[in-house]
Amino acid sequence: MAERINSNDKTKTRKPAKKRVFGKLKTRTSAWVVIAVTIGLAIVIGKVGGVAQVVNAVVSGGMWALLAVGLALILGVMNIPNFSHGESFMVGAYVAYFVFSPLYKYNLVSGSKFLFIVGPFIGFIAAALAGFILGIIIERLIFSPLRKRTRERWVMNAFLLTVGISFILTNGTNLVIGPNFRGIPRYWDVAPFSFLGVRLTVDRIVAFTIAVVSIAVLWFFLRRTKTGRAIRAVSQDESGADMVGINIQFIHTLTFGLGTSMASVAGACLLFMFQAYPTVGLKPLYFAWYVVMLVGLGNVSGAIVGGFIVAFLQAGTQQFIGVAWEEVVPTIVMMLVLIVAPSGIFGSEVKGIQEQ
Amino acid sequence: MKITELAGRKRKMTGITNILQRVGFSPSGFILLVVLAVLPFIPPFSSEFILRWLIFGAFLAAQAVAFDLTAGYINVVNFGFAAILGLGAYTSAILANTSPYLIVQTGLTPWIGMFIGAIVAGFVGFILGFLTLRLRGLYAAIMAWFVGIAILGLARNLIKLTRGSLGLSPPSLLETSSNRPYFYIILTMMVAIYIICKIVTRSHYGLAFRALGQNIDAARASGINPTKYRVFNFTLSCFCAGLLGGFYAHYFVSLTPQAVMHTSKTVEVLAIAFIGGRGFLWGGILTAFPFVFFIEYLRSALPGLPGLHLVIYGVLMVLVMIYYPKGLAGFVVWAREKIKIYKEEKNGGF
Amino acid sequence: MLKIQDINAGYGFLQVLWDVVFEISEGEFVALLGPNGAGKSTTLRTIVGLIKPMKGEITFKDTQITPLTTHEIVNMGLSYVSESLNLFVNMSVYENLLLGAYTIKDVKIVDETIDFVFNLFPQLAERKKQLAGTLSGGERKMLAIARGMMSKPDLIMVDEPSLGLAPNLVENVFEALERLHEGGITILLVEQNVTLTLEITDRAYVIEQGKIVLSGKSSNLKKNDHVKSVYLGI
Repeated sequence: MAERINSNDKTKTRKPAKKRVFGKLKTRTSAWVVIAVTIGLAIVIGKVGGVAQVVNAVVSGGMWALLAVGLALILGVMNIPNFSHGESFMVGAYVAYFVFSPLYKYNLVSGSKFLFIVGPFIGFIAAALAGFILGIIIERLIFSPLRKRTRERWVMNAFLLTVGISFILTNGTNLVIGPNFRGIPRYWDVAPFSFLGVRLTVDRIVAFTIAVVSIAVLWFFLRRTKTGRAIRAVSQDESGADMVGINIQFIHTLTFGLGTSMASVAGACLLFMFQAYPTVGLKPLYFAWYVVMLVGLGNVSGAIVGGFIVAFLQAGTQQFIGVAWEEVVPTIVMMLVLIVAPSGIFGSEVKGIQEQ
Repeated sequence: MKITELAGRKRKMTGITNILQRVGFSPSGFILLVVLAVLPFIPPFSSEFILRWLIFGAFLAAQAVAFDLTAGYINVVNFGFAAILGLGAYTSAILANTSPYLIVQTGLTPWIGMFIGAIVAGFVGFILGFLTLRLRGLYAAIMAWFVGIAILGLARNLIKLTRGSLGLSPPSLLETSSNRPYFYIILTMMVAIYIICKIVTRSHYGLAFRALGQNIDAARASGINPTKYRVFNFTLSCFCAGLLGGFYAHYFVSLTPQAVMHTSKTVEVLAIAFIGGRGFLWGGILTAFPFVFFIEYLRSALPGLPGLHLVIYGVLMVLVMIYYPKGLAGFVVWAREKIKIYKEEKNGGF
Repeated sequence: MLKIQDINAGYGFLQVLWDVVFEISEGEFVALLGPNGAGKSTTLRTIVGLIKPMKGEITFKDTQITPLTTHEIVNMGLSYVSESLNLFVNMSVYENLLLGAYTIKDVKIVDETIDFVFNLFPQLAERKKQLAGTLSGGERKMLAIARGMMSKPDLIMVDEPSLGLAPNLVENVFEALERLHEGGITILLVEQNVTLTLEITDRAYVIEQGKIVLSGKSSNLKKNDHVKSVYLGI
């Protein structure tokens, strides 16, 4: 079945070769236009609302990018539109909370300088590991059986399954841990820095740095290592990957683990902002999908830029239109994008998504 | 001999069964409905406590029918379903408002407000149908989700109209403390929605829906106008949702954005509809009632575990989707076929 | 080296292969000929595990490979170049080749094989950094074959390399295959271009409507009446 679909793909894509090059050019120019407009927006926000707004937008942009990259990766490689991405964020937040707060309490007593600095990082690493394991379990337990059973209507079925997973995880957490908000005021009890006249807490700087570093590491991993190359190979041509001896099942499990792990890291880093509670994932999920739909489904490099675009759009909305319209503007923007460029401003890289 | 006998029996049955068949009831289905209708007079079910369960079951069942009209036929999962239901509820509640703190104080009777709410919801469905028209499966689902979140955001932020997250307390539909009349209202709504959807899907519209759901390009190539059918489908489904929203507002008499419009509410309906089986309409009805009873029983038996029922929803939905995508309705149809074959063998020995 | 016994296979309810039997020994250059839809590509796909046979056994290097998955079979030293090539179009030629050597752990061997392959197809060396999607049809075929070679297979199966190529390019590709064979690699070639194929191969099987109808030395088959009338048009 899978091979037949693939050979169909080939004949379909090869025919309009000239058009595609042109189409690519067009999307590339439109992408530059969008980036330019975003930078313009950033400058305007800076002039009107002050540099603080811009810095805040950049920080949250890094986080949206980190979330969206995980989502895009899973979508691009496995054709799974992950609706449970927010729950990975939630798991990360909880793990970081439960690892960090005992350390924090212990620290209040012992006053260890080393633990004071390193403690939060232990939380982040624990969150990353937990997310990775969660991803592996979900993939093995749910998507692997489905893949073996049927590939028919895969995208939609996978999507609905992730909806179910999200439902189970949210309500399961509610059941086991309870609906209480669990948060921390900050990771590091240090006075905020002053940067360009903006007061920046250490937490924000670290969160942003971690986002950037994680994305950079992922980028390097995908481009330069053998396994990373295999992941890209699977996303481009699954049969081809099978033929060169890549264990596709392994790549799928790894990819899902990586994707969820990135969301968990984001959840851990933003614990000081979001707190941990069962439905905390909805907003991050919303933003991650906003980014991914905007830039084109499954486009990993687009998602990095998209995170910042979305952050500035949000900052602009708050600045010029009003917080009340925070949820309305994205909908309108997305409508416009889907009408003007149905496959997103940077182009979609998912093969199977056009099927019903 | 046997064949003529069978044919004769069939002819005898045609009178009533035919009419029932036309509005989408098999004989056994109709019997179940009658049983459901007399339940409120039979002791364990006649208590106000259990009547509430029945009402909730009918409410969920009706939602599942309206939801299945889009999800099961044209294969577009309307992820903004709860928000649209909430829109109907809010419209009716706002129109019925008499408190001087809000800007609209028409004090309209809920009986009319409910239908206006349904029309507003239907209109949004109409727009949603147009917006997602060119989009396929996943895009349409996400777009509908975004529209739903936008509606939720408006309900939360237009404080002068909706009191924001504090919510509204609309007047109740009837001046009675008994639940029984409410049960008959929601049951009538459920049956009406079911019959309307069934008649629509039985007509050539249903055929067009299914064609669009399977392959939009092929459907277009064979002369089906996707705009007309998809928009009609969305409008009808959302109209029904709006009507149900009106009932919700004036039965529960409390309305907050979070309790009505949240994405998880859509997922609840989705779970019921999918466990019931896609593309049958009655699958959701068949699932909703036992589910509500099971869940309410769980809730009263294990009060220390809030939300356990939702976890069970999710697990069941995932299992059904992986291992038995046809759902409960698919199973019933399969079993019915088996019984028919068995009977024929016993009767005639073909 | 490769032994196929009574294979029945197909897609879903549609059975394509009926009791296919054939065998390839080490160092041979064997062709599988037949008209469109005879089941040539299905045979290869079944061998490499992309389709599971309904019945029958496939042994490769004295091991049963029927229950194995594709990547396990490839790991055993069997390489498959499909008709649709399945190149990674958004990656460079070099990266495609590296992925071809995915099963090889030793970096040194990979480098050597890349040199060997570039020697075989000098055009590819010139286009090392270019994306595979931007190559011409002939170069794509060469890249696919080269990628198949990268895993240092004992047996390479090539599906219709001449499909959609200009005659002079077909000759290029066939020359490359001949050189590979001279280097000691066993080749199973599926082709519709019967004249050329019978010239370069040792033996050939003819498959029609899912059944092997003829087999023998290529030089003998050239003289066979059935082959002459149906495939060579003499």
